[in-house]
Amino acid sequence: MSDNIIAIDNLVKEFPRVKAVDDISFTINRGEIFGFLGPNGAGKTTTIKMLLTLIQPTSGLINIFGVNAITQPDMVRQIAGYVPQDVSVDGDLTGYENILMYAKLYNLPKSLREQRIKETLEYLEIQDRASEMVNTYSGGMMRRLEIAQALINQPQVLFLDEPSIGLDPGARRLMWDLIKQLRSEFKATILINTHDMVEADTLCDRIGIMDRGKLVTVGEPSVLKSTVGGDILSITSQSAQCLNKLEELGYQPLSDPSDHTLDLLVTNGERLIPHLLESLNSSGIEVEMVSLKKPTLDEVFLKYTGTRMGERDTWTAARRSRRNLRKLNH
Amino acid sequence: MDSSSEIASESTETKSLNLGYYFSNIITLVEFDLRKLKHDTLQVWVRLVQPVLWLAIFGTVMANFKVTPAGYSDYRQFLAPGVLAQSVMFVAIFYGINIVWERDLGQLNKLISTPASRSAIILGKTLSAGIRGIFQAAAILVLAIILRIDISFNPLHVLGIIFITILFGMCFSSLSICLASVFRTRERMMGIGQAITMPLFFASNAIYPISMMPGWVKYVAIINPLTYIVDAIRALMITSDFSQFPLDVAVIIGATALLVTLASWRFRKMVL
Repeated sequence: MSDNIIAIDNLVKEFPRVKAVDDISFTINRGEIFGFLGPNGAGKTTTIKMLLTLIQPTSGLINIFGVNAITQPDMVRQIAGYVPQDVSVDGDLTGYENILMYAKLYNLPKSLREQRIKETLEYLEIQDRASEMVNTYSGGMMRRLEIAQALINQPQVLFLDEPSIGLDPGARRLMWDLIKQLRSEFKATILINTHDMVEADTLCDRIGIMDRGKLVTVGEPSVLKSTVGGDILSITSQSAQCLNKLEELGYQPLSDPSDHTLDLLVTNGERLIPHLLESLNSSGIEVEMVSLKKPTLDEVFLKYTGTRMGERDTWTAARRSRRNLRKLNH
Repeated sequence: MDSSSEIASESTETKSLNLGYYFSNIITLVEFDLRKLKHDTLQVWVRLVQPVLWLAIFGTVMANFKVTPAGYSDYRQFLAPGVLAQSVMFVAIFYGINIVWERDLGQLNKLISTPASRSAIILGKTLSAGIRGIFQAAAILVLAIILRIDISFNPLHVLGIIFITILFGMCFSSLSICLASVFRTRERMMGIGQAITMPLFFASNAIYPISMMPGWVKYVAIINPLTYIVDAIRALMITSDFSQFPLDVAVIIGATALLVTLASWRFRKMVL
């Protein structure tokens, strides 16, 4: 019980024409990195904003560190740190000023302030550029500065909305390392939103898959991937006999053959390939190509929602849908 | 859960500091707005282009028409408080665009995720607009000196101008935040800013006395807060005729209080 530091029950957020979050319940453990994975418009940001007390839920309960977030939003704000999806640092101020402003807004005592800012700047490796204007920073640096702002109050819970969006691959890796480090050094519980399956897989202890306002499943990435049931083996052959032979061997192709390619759900695919090829060859069936795919979270998403995540919408479409949502709410 | 009781006891302790915290948040927002201005002083000078045109060219030409209302040494003296007011109004009205910009950037969301209350944020933002107005007002006083316009240097009068300017900036930036909460995009706000500043300016006593206006415009001028602001500034800056001053100040304070309250209420709807 004491390990569930965030407990959400039957959370609903309705906007005039959209149900953005549709009756979700989950718990998050102390010190965990929990990720919401889903396409844009799935309701991840709305959920995070309700947890952060930025918007009021239509119904449901939110309990953070034993505090009822709906009736006592001030207490949640005092222990939570937030890095929004959009770039939220002020380009017209220096890096130091950006942090100082939040130190003051969080009412950090004067005696503590300078030391804390110095440590935070050093920790995130922005101390050398701290007195420069932020609009001269790179994207990765701005992100680190945003995290520094969120860390200044030493939050117990850190909310990161799409932490690596817009970063180049190198900066993305560094960001993931940093987030893991935050967990181990600050003992913070971290909640991230992402539509990046690699990010969810490498970074999160547990993930909750969201789609159209619903939380379709929650679990460790490896466990979720194992629920898909195995590896996907694709066999390409021009031979019409191929399908019959495979069925004879007891395999059921996943989908109708497209481009003469058959997808099979198998276990231990690496070991199976030589045997399978041998039996196909011995029946005179010529195989052009074989590929083996380990299940990813995309297959998990496919399994639970019936569509692939990439088929939903792109990032730019998401911004549009979010803006529309804002208008609708209005 | 011990962590929750810890937090609970901490919060009762901080309750007594709440009011101090509330004001310190307002001051913080103003402080960082001023720091931004310090990093970019060019905007103060650029904003002086229009007032210079109004005073040096429009004022000088109009003075040749011998239209100076009674009690003023020349038309520019009558005009100077109006131009000061216009200049502060521009700063304040376009402040709402800033708020839309900050919302689009996600800065507002982060700001409201701090324990700072939303009304403290609005007061901080509108007060910043008022303080920015002071720089504009000061620049125009200097301009008036350069153009040899006869103005009052009584320190109390100067303080009065500062006080009125702050309220004025808060009043119109609140109006602009209310408008921003309705119109929502930067592009529209640019248009709205243009569309309301000139009518407010023309339907006030800024460039001509109310007595010279056509009938129906007079009524607009009477409900236009800018009229009272210009009247108050004119009393402080030029005439020292304070007969209308209590009414002016009452209207300005009333309008500011109303609009700031309305802006705080609208602000909740604006952020999502």
